[in-house]
Amino acid sequence: MIEFSPEVVRTVIRTASLIGAGAALIAGVGPGIGMGYAAGKATSAVRRQPQARGSIITTMLLGQIISGSTGIYSLVIAIFLVFNT
Amino acid sequence: MNPGPQIKFYLFNKEYLPVTDTLIVGWVSVILIVILAKYLTTNLKMRPEGKQNVAEMIIELIHSQIEPMLPNEGWKFLPFIATIFIYVGFSNLIGLVPGVTSPTGDLNTTLGLALVVFIVVQIEGMREHGVWGYIKSFAEPVIFLLPINVIGELAKPISHSFRLFGNIVGGGIIMTLIYQAAPALVPVPLHAWFDFFVGMIQALIFGMVAIAYISVAKS
Repeated sequence: MIEFSPEVVRTVIRTASLIGAGAALIAGVGPGIGMGYAAGKATSAVRRQPQARGSIITTMLLGQIISGSTGIYSLVIAIFLVFNT
Repeated sequence: MNPGPQIKFYLFNKEYLPVTDTLIVGWVSVILIVILAKYLTTNLKMRPEGKQNVAEMIIELIHSQIEPMLPNEGWKFLPFIATIFIYVGFSNLIGLVPGVTSPTGDLNTTLGLALVVFIVVQIEGMREHGVWGYIKSFAEPVIFLLPINVIGELAKPISHSFRLFGNIVGGGIIMTLIYQAAPALVPVPLHAWFDFFVGMIQALIFGMVAIAYISVAKS
């Protein structure tokens, strides 16, 4: 049985949480793709029906909010990992 | 300057109520909003001119967002939504003052606002469908979906508050890093982006999501 000093343990935990924070931000890929897809669809919808621009933009924003929240979750987890350990 | 978010939870432990900079800046922004509202609404006329145009423009903007999603009830929900929108927008803008952190960059502020919205959503749903009818609507279309619906309902204030918190804190961290790398000239356009544009968009989105939750509960 090997005993580690608390300093080593703290360093290992800090390293692991920083790696975890970096890995958590991989989740930013998904919302980026989703929001870009929604914006592209909204652009083609505005081109087809320019008079419905206002309601198309509102609907697009709501969809993007919902799909973007997963990215925000990963950002919050990364922030907690960096600043709270 | 605070190098990052301050997330403190002292619940009946050693310190009872720690007064953070969030609390101070929040109250200062509340007082400033009250003074501004008093100034904008004194001496109203039938034919608007000057500062009255600004006030009417803000109110019309918010009302035009509510009306399509809650038909015929735009004026009923306007005070609630406009309060949230103006407070969040002003709190994001106050981060432009050097040395002042936005109150919305603190989970306590955003979670408080989201919980108020959550309570209003429950009350409006019960007023529309009746108490038993609203509770029963969680068990539709089949009873097995009850836990999923309840968890989905409880996740709403969490995602609602974390969205604003994450956006403001992320912008603040990037600004802190930029200030350490290039203290002069470079941060100016980034301030315009992170405080003006992102702040205004997030305030609008916070209000719009509140309207969407209310309209989902009422349908």
